[in-house]
Amino acid sequence: MAMKKKRYALVIDSRKCLNCKACVVACKAENKVPVGHFRNRINEERKGEYPTLSINFEPEQCHHCDEPSCVRVCPTGASWQRKDGIVLVNYDECIGCRYCMIACPYDARYFNEEEGVVDKCTFCVQRVDKGEVPACVETCPSKVRVFGDLEDPKSRIRELLATRRYKVKEPQTGNGPQLYYLL
Amino acid sequence: MGTIRMDRRLFLKTAGATAGAVAATQVGCFKYFKKGRSTAADAKEIPTTCELCPNKCSAIAVVEGGFIRKLNPNPENPKSRDMLCARGNAAVMQVYDPDRIKQPMIRVGARGEGKWKPVSWDEAFDYTAKKLAEIKQKYGPEGTLWSSTEGFQEKFFVNLGQAFGSPNIVRHPTLCLASVNLAYGTTFGTVPSFDMLNSKYVIMSGANRFESIITPDTMDLIGSVMERKAKLVYLDPRFTVTAAKADEWYPIKPGSDLAFILAMLNVIIAEKRYHKDFVDTYTLGFDQLAEHVKQYTPEWAEKETEIPAKDIIRIAREFADAGTRALYYSGRRSSWYENDFQMRRAQAILNTIVGNWDQMGGMVPNASLPKGEFLFMPWDDPKASRVDEVKTNFPLAAASDGVYLKLRENVLSGKPYPIKGWMVYKQDPMNALPDQGKTLKMIEDMDFIGVIDLQMSDMAWYADVVFPESAYLERTDPVEVMPGIWPAVVYRQQVVKPIHDTKPNLEIVQGLAKRLGLSDYFDYTIDQWVEAEFKDLPIPMAAEHMKKHGVWAATGEAHYGKTLTPDHRFVTKSGKIEIFSERLQENGYDPLPVYNQIAQPPADRFRLILGRVGYFTHANQSNNVWLHEFMPENDLWINPAPAARLGIKNGEYVNVASSVGSVRIKARVTEEIRPDCVFMLHGFGKKSKMQSLVYNVGASDAVILETAWDKVSGNAAFHGTFVKVSNA
Ligand code: SF4
Ligand code: SF4
Ligand code: SF4
Repeated sequence: MAMKKKRYALVIDSRKCLNCKACVVACKAENKVPVGHFRNRINEERKGEYPTLSINFEPEQCHHCDEPSCVRVCPTGASWQRKDGIVLVNYDECIGCRYCMIACPYDARYFNEEEGVVDKCTFCVQRVDKGEVPACVETCPSKVRVFGDLEDPKSRIRELLATRRYKVKEPQTGNGPQLYYLL
Repeated sequence: MGTIRMDRRLFLKTAGATAGAVAATQVGCFKYFKKGRSTAADAKEIPTTCELCPNKCSAIAVVEGGFIRKLNPNPENPKSRDMLCARGNAAVMQVYDPDRIKQPMIRVGARGEGKWKPVSWDEAFDYTAKKLAEIKQKYGPEGTLWSSTEGFQEKFFVNLGQAFGSPNIVRHPTLCLASVNLAYGTTFGTVPSFDMLNSKYVIMSGANRFESIITPDTMDLIGSVMERKAKLVYLDPRFTVTAAKADEWYPIKPGSDLAFILAMLNVIIAEKRYHKDFVDTYTLGFDQLAEHVKQYTPEWAEKETEIPAKDIIRIAREFADAGTRALYYSGRRSSWYENDFQMRRAQAILNTIVGNWDQMGGMVPNASLPKGEFLFMPWDDPKASRVDEVKTNFPLAAASDGVYLKLRENVLSGKPYPIKGWMVYKQDPMNALPDQGKTLKMIEDMDFIGVIDLQMSDMAWYADVVFPESAYLERTDPVEVMPGIWPAVVYRQQVVKPIHDTKPNLEIVQGLAKRLGLSDYFDYTIDQWVEAEFKDLPIPMAAEHMKKHGVWAATGEAHYGKTLTPDHRFVTKSGKIEIFSERLQENGYDPLPVYNQIAQPPADRFRLILGRVGYFTHANQSNNVWLHEFMPENDLWINPAPAARLGIKNGEYVNVASSVGSVRIKARVTEEIRPDCVFMLHGFGKKSKMQSLVYNVGASDAVILETAWDKVSGNAAFHGTFVKVSNA
């Protein structure tokens, strides 16, 4: 039986983000991210002068790019991409050269000193392959992120992208990022 | 090749199949995860209930190889709305925290010196019982104080204090929500919930709901506001996350919220925009209110609040137009100013006159669920009256909770009688109370202090005996009904066995009871207690259900309007909603909220204001390694204009001094605060070396806060301290 093609992506409604960090801690627990490193983060933009002020929070993690520059530059093939779009690191093949960290336009990767390998968001493959959503998606109080399969016409993310305006970050890099930020 | 990498490979190979065993780890608790590691074959999912804050969210613990791997939210709880906050997620690290108290300890050095002798439980119990018996003999049982914080096992501790014969039980409400509870209770006879899911217009002051998470309010409101179903008007001297998300933010002059509300009442009544039918049918004293608020014009309020009169008028109109779906949100921790009770009561009255009572999108009286009770042997009431003299000083306050700050004053003065023993359950009065110097003095005056806690709080650090409690993930607790618009019943069951030599509170209480000759009152196990509670739950096979699901909710449907029948009697003196309160009048308080100006800081000083962020609320959470990394040290927010005047630079240390103390803290020069205020977060500058991440790091607000309380409820008033800031 032929497997249906899949393409996982995240739609992010940053305006609902409270900077509460639940997603960051959930990721830490789920993926055993070392203290001092993060696979996801909340970018902050604070503007204005008292009392005309604004703050924007924007969750960010690996964009699981269509044309991932990290994979392109990896000399050993440790950085690789699954058919469903998820970009992973094979830790046994990673030699810790960190070319991928430089090549990533989104600063999505970190170097795990203790293991000597590069690591990053995996979309929680271990959960996704069981039919669950990534930990950051699930735990969020305001449900900022929507995870889904772009190949599934009935998915919530397809619906959101069809009905709402959105942007991707750094489209000029040609990486084809798969984090869609609602406007 | 190291074991870690082998596991990683295993992980990659099995990803795609069902097993997802990421077993190795690099986190602080290295050894716990590393040993006993296994594949997902022995993974278990155990539903339980979070204890990191009072929201009681439902969680599912994933346990592998005997170790807690992760907590996932449990979607079956209608209140927690399928989420766990950062603190809830970090509860894993509460268990594996290297700073935990790992066995009972008795102090050997001077108090606060940090010299401890690990002892057996028997030794700790015997020693404590002996000390308590000595105090009882000399001063009577009332010579002991029992203070505790909110939690499912708090009742056992409170019961021990009562069975011992002490009237002096002091719980947390007067450091938290006593004024809001009393204000709404006085008006409606009950404290309602706020239907943020369906409200169309929300005004919030004295609360910061997008950083201080309350379920389901936080989640419901952010959804409504961002999806443009509700408008949010927000008053706060600080530009918080809530301010950033609000439709309108006003940096109101601190302490003047009551003026804003009174002026809204003035406009709505003068323009006849109130809900006349509702007011006529269900309320008492509207005419007196109408007369009373004539003096509080928007122009007058502009001078008090610094909010333009035209905006007050417009907001009042918009609010009244939203009618039954408009809400002035009550807040939870309402320990701000000495007029807090009257401010919260004015909110309640404003809500009343637009008729939002028991309406979709309005204030909704809580629905509850029945549960069984374990019948234990009762004890005699204590003979002495309370040391804080609640009945005379605060006749309307909840005497059983006590009034904390008045209590401390009386203990320090030794009047009406001396207190020489202090038992503490999981509370940190050193940081929870203002004016740490006074708390330290109180500690010095004690013949004996015993503390039950998970971590070496600052209070525990000054104790004579420390009893380590098991973490919530290591315990089974009593069943808890959570009343609300969406009532639920939750259950906390043991997820892993205690990893150190710790005990659940009940067993600590029983160990002491046995030696105090009080065993008869505590003659049960937690399982018997819980079985009895399961009995009356409206669920078939309740025990099985609760063990399997951890939570039960009727339908998730909200029911509105149950109290909206003309013959419904509110639990007030008149049976009506009391806009004008005779009960207040009889007790010497203003029967309608009267505005009195709150003192403003002189030119060379700032008002110190407090607040929370989503990832820390309680003082102990800053020492959790997964939370601490978001904020390793607290800082002092100060507006750039006064900072420039004082030569204060961002990131440099400053001294902050009040009349009771001074601290050294880094300055954060930011536009996000009024020029007459400074702000700092709670939970830093610890004295306990066993809070290793925050020991002597940053500053504790408790050191500089002055003692003051709300006149009616006795709730601590934390926003009345003026401080001087200078370069360190
Ligand atoms: S959990 Fe949600 S609201 Fe909280 S920081 Fe993450 S994305 Fe933002
Ligand atoms: S975001 Fe960076 S790490 Fe992720 S796939 Fe794209 S280039 Fe690679
Ligand atoms: S809000 Fe957070 S800390 Fe509080 S009970 Fe829920 S998950 Fe736990």
